[in-house]
Amino acid sequence: MDVFGSFALILAFVCALYAFAGGIAAIITRHPLLIKSTRQSGMATCGLIFISTFSLVYLFFSDNYSVAYVVSHSNRDLSTFFKVAALWSGQEGSLLFWSFLLAIYVFSVLFVYRNKNGELMPYVGVILAGVQLFFLTISNFVASPFKALGVANASGAFDLVARADGNGLNPVLQYPEMVIHPPNLYSGYTGFTIPFAFALAALLARYPGEKWIHLTRKWTMIAWCFQSMGILLGAHWAYAVLGWGGYWGWDPVENASLLPWLTGTAFLHSVMMQEKRGMMKVWNVWLVFLTFMLCILGTLLTRSGVVSSVHAFAQSNIGNWFVGFLCIVLGVCLAAYFKNRDYLKSENQLDSLVSRESSFLFNNLVLLVACVAVLSGTLFPVFSEWFTGSRISVGAPFFNKVNIPLGLLLLFLTGVGPLLAWRKTSTESLKRNFLWPSTLGVTAGGVGFVFGFREIFSLICLMLCVFVASTIVQEFYRGAKVIRVRTSANWLTSCLDLTLRNTRRYGGYVVHLGMVMIFIGLAGQAFNKEVEKEMPVGSTLKIGTYELLLQSMDEKQEKNYVAERMIVEVMKDNKPVMMLYPERRNFPTNQESGTMVAIFSTLREDLYVVYAGINPATNRPTMHAFINPLVKWVWWGGMVLVMGTIVALLPNRAAAVVLSKAEAPASTRELSGMRPAQVTLREGHD
Amino acid sequence: MIEGQKMKTGKAKFAGIFALGVLAIVAPAAQPVFADQNDRAHQVGAKLKCMCGGCDQSAAKCYHVGGSYSGPCDTAKQEIKEIDEQIAEGKSDDQVLQALIAEYGPLAYVEPPKSGFGLVAWLMPVLYLLAGTALVIVVMRRWRKRPPMNAAPAVAGANSGVQVTPELLARARELAQRETED
Repeated sequence: MDVFGSFALILAFVCALYAFAGGIAAIITRHPLLIKSTRQSGMATCGLIFISTFSLVYLFFSDNYSVAYVVSHSNRDLSTFFKVAALWSGQEGSLLFWSFLLAIYVFSVLFVYRNKNGELMPYVGVILAGVQLFFLTISNFVASPFKALGVANASGAFDLVARADGNGLNPVLQYPEMVIHPPNLYSGYTGFTIPFAFALAALLARYPGEKWIHLTRKWTMIAWCFQSMGILLGAHWAYAVLGWGGYWGWDPVENASLLPWLTGTAFLHSVMMQEKRGMMKVWNVWLVFLTFMLCILGTLLTRSGVVSSVHAFAQSNIGNWFVGFLCIVLGVCLAAYFKNRDYLKSENQLDSLVSRESSFLFNNLVLLVACVAVLSGTLFPVFSEWFTGSRISVGAPFFNKVNIPLGLLLLFLTGVGPLLAWRKTSTESLKRNFLWPSTLGVTAGGVGFVFGFREIFSLICLMLCVFVASTIVQEFYRGAKVIRVRTSANWLTSCLDLTLRNTRRYGGYVVHLGMVMIFIGLAGQAFNKEVEKEMPVGSTLKIGTYELLLQSMDEKQEKNYVAERMIVEVMKDNKPVMMLYPERRNFPTNQESGTMVAIFSTLREDLYVVYAGINPATNRPTMHAFINPLVKWVWWGGMVLVMGTIVALLPNRAAAVVLSKAEAPASTRELSGMRPAQVTLREGHD
Repeated sequence: MIEGQKMKTGKAKFAGIFALGVLAIVAPAAQPVFADQNDRAHQVGAKLKCMCGGCDQSAAKCYHVGGSYSGPCDTAKQEIKEIDEQIAEGKSDDQVLQALIAEYGPLAYVEPPKSGFGLVAWLMPVLYLLAGTALVIVVMRRWRKRPPMNAAPAVAGANSGVQVTPELLARARELAQRETED
């Protein structure tokens, strides 16, 4: 099976090479048969990558310990569930997995548009094949996952050997989140290849109009949604597994996943400028290019060991290949831009400073500044080593200080932007749209202050969260009221109806609401508390309003590990609330151990208890407890965000409603001279 | 009129409920912070780097994956213990911090220093924001001066009494639609 897999992989390389080189020839000659054959070769590449990936998975399932990659990432006792995860637990496998996910996207694109966009697709095919070619080169010739296990014999040659059992999977990876976090994140990273390919193709082909933006909107949103989920799942994994009480440490790899997310978010907003007003064409193209390059840079940072990181388990000297690829991509983008930049001429003028246009400009400004600040902060230790010869630490406090104000600015724009009309917003409309939300926001701030809320940033965050949430509720309320007047349905049905008629807009609001919830969770961090205590069985530890009684300790033998547990009774006001069982797991296969945090989670706060091990000097167990307020809001906010994205991906339900005398949603009212009959045009379009 | 009043009380009620909701979330977080020496040690420890050389975390937040186990490594634990002892001696947070930086070297501070080359790190984000804002302002000014390219013919046609052809009308409709939908 290993031979089969590696053969499929090399065939995939050949097919990709043909799709790439033949594709270029097809663009030049415009020969229909050549175009067709390169497209099919592109599809075959994907099929062969699927086969190759499945054969690696099969090697894990069949416990084939003659393959080096399987030996170092699995063992017989490992459960089936985690054998799947073992596929991406190391360098070679995760690169193959990367190609696999990219192949899913590429196949879908080639298949869906096989009879459409004839002018554009050959270019898209070539670009996608080019990207695949790079990853296949690495998987075939630099870091092959199918390498057989060998031992040097006396004459220096390698003898093939097989082992009875493998070394096992890194214990920190043996958690359910680790099975879903990497696929999500990688789907995000690879997904941005599609809008990149379309943008570059449109530029190269001088493809007229905004077509490429319409074509890629869904792909971009899918990639963005996966990227968001990936980041949040990673945060949740860090929180539930690593046992340091937090979920975001501004680790270089975390930063690397945030960078394309920031530019991707900026892109999702700024495309609207191009769709509606024909503006910012150059900017949009470069945002997509940048997003894709940041995805590659992210891999480079993760894999190369340029910056020390929590993800150190996947390091090697593969970085040079990525640097090379990055340079080629940048070169191609620059060349395409300078050759065809006249094609990207902007159409419209800016009518007013208080308009949707300018809010998008500032939204992009803040996102990009955050992106560049995070990037340069991450690389700063390297810079300082270059310039001064010694490293300077740039840790979490730096990133927090820089990004909290930017985040709050962004939150403010989240509330303001969607309620500003295109072109121009009148003072009267500002009053109508922002009177209630700002009153509520300020009230919430006042209430918070009176109740002893003194952390300035958390207070501002609270005010802004209430402000933004009320703008969203107000929009739903106003929209639903219009529908209610006509259909006399109840509020819930009306809201649902409203959402389905303009999924993009109301889905967007739901995403914003998810972001507000995440911000609420983030603001809670300012009030974290923690206590670490060495405690004999029977003693208690007091934290916040909780008392933790260590009842006893026990040991539990599981298939793949031995768990040492603390049995802790949680008391509040002298009444038992629940039991918690923080663990330490010892994995005999690879002599490693890991923590299993016990969390009692409510919307208000998380009680987070870690068994920190036994102090060898006193032979007493140590408990490390945290109170982390509002953390659950982050996870729930993430779910709302994903739901919103799904809503925004749905097609609009056609409706023949006339906006009548009742209040219309904010952005339609600014059109002077627009009659209701004309306004109906917006229904049924996104 | 009555309708309007009703609506207002409705809105006020809604606002009240909202404020209560906010309160329910905020109030618990606003309880007095639990003071503990250990807590202080962790706060100081959050400003010092874990000096094991294998991670980029602070001593208090070391989670050190990839090695033999997760969670604070021995180096981080030792640093926290040292901080705890120095706090017990009655030193202020800053004194403890200075003592440990003197012991482990300037790299031990998690933030870049606000002097020398470290200052560059702090100035960079400010510079980005200023440069970005300047760019946005320049772009906006240029856009405001730009003549409207595709809106013009339709509008001018209507004003100057030129025959409104179906094509012109269709184009104006399409434009209006594009610019009003969300």
